[in-house]
Amino acid sequence: MKKLDNLLEKDLHIVEKRKILFAIPLAIIVVAIVTAIIFNFTLGSPFNLGTDFTGGYSIDVKLGNRLTDDNYNSYCRRIEDVLSTVTTEDGKEYSVRIDNMQRQGSGDSTAIHVKYHAVKGVSEAEMIDVINPAIKSELEDEILMLIPAVATADKTVTLTYNEIISAPTLADLKNTFVKLAETLNADNNAGMTFDGDAADSVKLDENDSHKVVISFATINASSELDAALASGMKISDKYAGSVTQGDLIGATVSTELLFNAVLAVSLALIFMLCYIGIRFQLSSGLACIIALLHDILIMFSFMAICRIEINSTFIAALITILGYSINNSIIIFDRVRENMRSVFNANMSAEDIANKSIRETLLRSINTTITTLLMILMVAIIGVPDIRIFAFPIIIGLLAGTFSSICIAPSFWALFQRVGKKSGDRTFNKKPLKTKTEKGETEARA
Amino acid sequence: MAETTSLTEVAQENGPDGKKVNAPPVAHKPIKKKSTIIKLVFIGIALIVGMILAFCPMRFGFTLYHPFMSKEAISLGLDLQGGVYAVYQATNTDTENFDSKMEGTRSSLEALLVSKGYAEATVIIEGSNNDRLRVEIPDVEDASDVLKIIGEPAEIEFVLDETKETVITGTDVVRAQSFYSPNDGGYVVSLELTSDGQDKFFKATSENIDKTMSIVVTIGGESETISTATINTAISGNAIISGGFTAESAQKLADQINSGTFDVSLELKETETISPTLGDNALKYGLIAGVVGFVLVIAFMCLVYRLLGVAAAVALLIYVVLYLFFLAVLPWVQLTLPGIAGILLSIGMAVDANVIIFERIKEEYRNGKSIMAAYHAGFKKALFAILDSNVTTVIACVLLLLLGTGSVSGFALTLLVGVLLSLFTALLVSRGILKYFINLNSHSEKLYNLKRGRMFENLSADATDAGVQEMMDREAKEKQEAKEEKKRLKELEKSGKERRASEGGEA
Repeated sequence: MKKLDNLLEKDLHIVEKRKILFAIPLAIIVVAIVTAIIFNFTLGSPFNLGTDFTGGYSIDVKLGNRLTDDNYNSYCRRIEDVLSTVTTEDGKEYSVRIDNMQRQGSGDSTAIHVKYHAVKGVSEAEMIDVINPAIKSELEDEILMLIPAVATADKTVTLTYNEIISAPTLADLKNTFVKLAETLNADNNAGMTFDGDAADSVKLDENDSHKVVISFATINASSELDAALASGMKISDKYAGSVTQGDLIGATVSTELLFNAVLAVSLALIFMLCYIGIRFQLSSGLACIIALLHDILIMFSFMAICRIEINSTFIAALITILGYSINNSIIIFDRVRENMRSVFNANMSAEDIANKSIRETLLRSINTTITTLLMILMVAIIGVPDIRIFAFPIIIGLLAGTFSSICIAPSFWALFQRVGKKSGDRTFNKKPLKTKTEKGETEARA
Repeated sequence: MAETTSLTEVAQENGPDGKKVNAPPVAHKPIKKKSTIIKLVFIGIALIVGMILAFCPMRFGFTLYHPFMSKEAISLGLDLQGGVYAVYQATNTDTENFDSKMEGTRSSLEALLVSKGYAEATVIIEGSNNDRLRVEIPDVEDASDVLKIIGEPAEIEFVLDETKETVITGTDVVRAQSFYSPNDGGYVVSLELTSDGQDKFFKATSENIDKTMSIVVTIGGESETISTATINTAISGNAIISGGFTAESAQKLADQINSGTFDVSLELKETETISPTLGDNALKYGLIAGVVGFVLVIAFMCLVYRLLGVAAAVALLIYVVLYLFFLAVLPWVQLTLPGIAGILLSIGMAVDANVIIFERIKEEYRNGKSIMAAYHAGFKKALFAILDSNVTTVIACVLLLLLGTGSVSGFALTLLVGVLLSLFTALLVSRGILKYFINLNSHSEKLYNLKRGRMFENLSADATDAGVQEMMDREAKEKQEAKEEKKRLKELEKSGKERRASEGGEA
């Protein structure tokens, strides 16, 4: 606490250090521009825009009652795995970027609604005719099938399923195995031989009906063979539903919404400039707007550098910071206004007044930033993932807003003041000062 | 600077009467401690009642009370609440200007849904040929009635029976509405016609007086004559369909006619209800984050500002209760995912006004005011800073509210409510509570974490401002005397120099 109080006594000469202080955000913005350009060439877009902006495709994996709170995440991970490498019929591999997954429906129609981006450099027709069907069939193969865990011990292989194996399923498995053993022997040099009929060596575990035990006379056990057995012996998941290919989805953030938002913000800035011009000075208003632009640029910069997805919640984050940033700057300019009217600062330069005002509001700036950060950090730590996406730009915006209101807005104001004075406009804001000065002097003398 | 500013202010506070200023320190007005305690207890009880109303579900007999902070009270967006979505396929895709017709249909469909009370309903165009409309209606369990009507639009025709000539059709209708009309003997559907339609209707009716006209409604390819009426006079303006409607059937026909006025005919492809699982979690963890963050903020305020912080904490609690109340009561507020984060953030920002005021109070106290005087001066001086800074936010919110679309205007509204409430709680509530606290104890600076500046180290915390005045007067006098002393010395020096100079000259 002592240290904080000392801050009030000491002049930090922030305005004089403006060259260093302006360099920090400029450096961040330059880095962002460079990374954006690099991303533009390597990944195809400078920003990571969500399907809210770009549109994309959707597919529903209907799982019905199979989907529970417990296995939702593991299903999501499996879907992610499938989409990370999709092989089309002609053997090409594509990596499909998922935008988000959402649980939808209830009861039998419970499904995971997957939104994904178009693959870069692929035409819409190819996407619809080739890649989307491939995604659908791979999801059907992987997600709607039960793949057993394979354990090889000596000459027995145990396949463990997540499901109790019924008699008809076992019969199916036996048939599948006979064919599989032939192909594996021929193609993979599996060397499988049996003490009798191949079909008879496939048995259900007596103690655990989730397990199927296959006993061999000879086998060339290998990890590739295990994998081949696992994928060859998968069974269709009778409770799982279906995969429904969705369609092209439009951008939910329509150009209309963006245009209206930009129009509203621009008008708001003009009105704010007028208000600040009337209540304070025009130069204060301009400095506020510069600080605000700084905050928004820094937010965009971090979104570009960290390549965090920009979706419709980012618009909400920008609006929040818009209010916060202007608010912060105004508090300092309120002090500037007060200090300029004061008798005692009549001979002070604009820089000194700015420094004095920064010093006097510094504790407030720090404390407010702490309380606000405390709240949003809790949101970022405790909240659900979708809220965290919102919290990150806000945190950046808050820090940028605090920085700009202390280090940028007053400095620009002082700069404007000096330019104003140099151009011969010596009278501005002196009028109220004069009368006050006279009054103050007479009072002091009396 | 500050010393003399407070000097003039103290002088004003004590009035222009010079005698009073120089009078020996007088005690504060006798404080009615009892009534102050009663007021504080009253605020406490009101706060507890508010918290119970906000957070605790209760059961009175058979009726269940839903607190403000519950899914039942606050309407949630599609991302939180779940809701219904439907996809429509346009069937006549090969018409001219299809894209612009689709856009027209999109906006009129949205307008129709809004007029039906689904304020947050959104309609977007999708599909590989931009030939599908996706309708999302949050916060409803079953919007299937409305959605079905969109899927089976009604085509309406007014036909002259004699010539079988069609007078007006659905394209001449701007809007259909149902209402109760005693003159027509029950529920009727009124059709607002385009000016073109009005002309056609007037011409046909004036030329065919005493003949009959039928109203034919076609739904899904089946035509039905709803009513046949004799034209008594030429009808200008709007058309009215009457004929034994009930409230429901009139409303249904109006809806069907409205959807028949779409430029594109639509077919319902799929509807689905989105489960609110995500919303449950978002709300649950949002609440936990809110409570933890809130406790941390209050702890921080109490640590830094002590009793002042306690007042801020009470004000903040009232802020939260009122905010939840408004979220629950204002019908057009819908909470979305960023909305939750926005509200939590606003709690952190609502403290701002308190911080500004408290820093001012500390400053005033540092410069020699008594605690009570510092409190008054602090609120007075912070007022304009707080008002100015919040007015700018209000300007931004109002413009976004008016010009923004969908989620943007919704978010602006929640922000606006937060700003106004934080102004109210900081400027009125924490001011009142703080006054009571200071009334009860106006002498312990530690209790408020206040500290005297160097000049006033020996001044007691509850020194009356007349005492401060006296001390300042003395200091000003000493300064003045020192100045005069210096002047005299300088003059002496000057005269000495002159003397020496003249002496030198003589020599």
